[in-house]
Amino acid sequence: MTAIDSAIRAAAAQIELIGVTKAYDAKTVVIPPMDVVLRPGEFTVILGPSGCGKSTLLQMIAGLERVSGGKIILGGREVQDLEPKHRGCAMVFQNYALYPHMTVAENMAYSLKVAGVSKPDRALRVATVAKMLGLADYLERKPGQLSGGQRQRVAIGRAIIREPGVLLFDEPLSNLDAQLRHDMRIELADLHRRIGATSVFVTHDQVEAMTLADRILILNKGRVEQFDTPKVIYHHPASVFVAKFIGAPPMNILDVTGDGTALRLADGQAVARSTRTGRFQLGIRPEDVAAGPGGPITATIRYREDLGSHEIIEADLCGQQLRIATPFGAEIDASSTLSLSFPTVRLHLFDGETGMAIADAFEEPQAVRQSVKVHL
Amino acid sequence: MIENARSINIAAGLILAIGMIYIIGPLYLTLSTASQSFEDMLRNGLAWYPGDQLLVNMGKIFTETRIPIQMFNSLIVASSNAFATCVLSLLSAYAIVYFRIRWAGVIFALILATIMLPLDIRVITTYQVASNIFSPLNAVLDVTGLNLLIASAFGAPVHLELSVLNTHFGLVAPLVAHGTGTFLFRQFFLTLPKDLFKAARMDGAGPIRFLFDILLPLSRASFAALFVLTFLSGWTQYLWPLVGASTPDMQTAVVGLARLVPDADGQVPDFPMIMAGAVLVSLVPLSMIALLQRYLVQGLVLSEK
Repeated sequence: MTAIDSAIRAAAAQIELIGVTKAYDAKTVVIPPMDVVLRPGEFTVILGPSGCGKSTLLQMIAGLERVSGGKIILGGREVQDLEPKHRGCAMVFQNYALYPHMTVAENMAYSLKVAGVSKPDRALRVATVAKMLGLADYLERKPGQLSGGQRQRVAIGRAIIREPGVLLFDEPLSNLDAQLRHDMRIELADLHRRIGATSVFVTHDQVEAMTLADRILILNKGRVEQFDTPKVIYHHPASVFVAKFIGAPPMNILDVTGDGTALRLADGQAVARSTRTGRFQLGIRPEDVAAGPGGPITATIRYREDLGSHEIIEADLCGQQLRIATPFGAEIDASSTLSLSFPTVRLHLFDGETGMAIADAFEEPQAVRQSVKVHL
Repeated sequence: MIENARSINIAAGLILAIGMIYIIGPLYLTLSTASQSFEDMLRNGLAWYPGDQLLVNMGKIFTETRIPIQMFNSLIVASSNAFATCVLSLLSAYAIVYFRIRWAGVIFALILATIMLPLDIRVITTYQVASNIFSPLNAVLDVTGLNLLIASAFGAPVHLELSVLNTHFGLVAPLVAHGTGTFLFRQFFLTLPKDLFKAARMDGAGPIRFLFDILLPLSRASFAALFVLTFLSGWTQYLWPLVGASTPDMQTAVVGLARLVPDADGQVPDFPMIMAGAVLVSLVPLSMIALLQRYLVQGLVLSEK
């Protein structure tokens, strides 16, 4: 660890939400009571569609929004009634929210100035952070003279200069172009590793979530759908909502009925063997569908997209949409109908009513499951 | 140029020339009259040519009239009007934009209503209130019947009286109650990034610090523009200073100038001296615009630099 690394290193704090809830009035409940623990030093991404309450949740942790009920415990302290400055959090905003009339150095040092840190100490800390973020040459510029990526770096510098135990990010990359977003993502991951603060990152971009997170918290209408590592979320989605939200193109969800021997589509085609009976939703990822002659399932091709490395085929399976991603280099020369098979180990079964995943839906020999996990 | 025909150019030039004469003509007459002697004016009527008596006439303003002290009054009225308006507008716009206030929309509409109901319309009621600033309170006590209660308990009803007529405060206060500034600042604040306030809170700055460290420096141009505009309007106010101040030593320069015309019929006013006074009185707002015109434009464009 270099001197710079050790200079800005936070004492990561655990974030505990106990029955935290937000409601504007009796009818509009944004977040129903929620219990979540974010471990110290963990990078958590809160992922969800717009309007799911993810920003509200973040602002409640920050202290910018009041909680309607419940407790927020940061590093062992109950903080839900404290002002933001007493919580030991720092935040990076979507539109940077830099002070336009201050130079880069003044922007980063402002919180220290408010806290009464002496001028020489401030200059020292600014120099350290600027060096860390590659901003040393821009300290005397105003935010208006910087590019988007540089502004975002200043915003991050302003957040980490106080060495907060908790770092909060409110969609910080959504204002950047694709290339810059990719670069900043790598920088952020690296920064998190060096600073070690507990980080909470709000986004609606699943790529950001999958690449940055230690654990992803998926929110739907204020409720936690699933809170787990990216791998588990991808391979074992807890609900149809999660299954559809993660993965591009998203997982295929088919309405099926179990008759005791197999799961069947509306026209009677069997898509998987199962002894279950009742209505279910069957999930399979586009890349897991095996297309090729001899498959037991027949689908009609509607549209083909050639992406060079692979193809996305949009097919019609008994009135339901099915997307198939062909393996790299595979040529599929079917023109109108396609023979498919669904490998049982890659199937996900969800309850037809609640959409919740059914664990161990297909009783596979333990050995098969193990081997699948190994090459994931 | 959209059209480039010669005839149109000539016509446009003519219209411009007429407009210039319309505006500059009276100014020229003011200056030329101010530089003639009273006797010349009596002999020749309207002064079409400049004379050499300008300094003499200005000297007369200083020695024979109360214009100097009245200019001082104007300066106090205009600058305190400008300053108070700026501060009040900034604070009220700050409250409306950055704080969650019940009925904020209604309050803002009421503030805007002052623009539609200028002082000139309210001059009589304003005069009544200025002659006793407690009269609204007295009226409330009377109407609610509280005074009857007080009268039965203490033997006499409450009747408070304090007149601010013929004071600087009385001249300034009614002018300050004007919503334009609040509107200007509100529009400016709305152009600022919304998260600025939150960012400042995260940095540990409370509402007061945010106001002084961030909002005030950012609205410097708007502040200056509003200051110039309200200063000018305060300087040129006529109706309210006319009724609000009764002694010459409390009147403002514009009112004082008008009073230089003798009341008695048949007397010819000393127009050269009056015009010299008008020139003197205009010098202050003129220099103000000359100094601050850069901010005037910046502040009214309403955008973040």
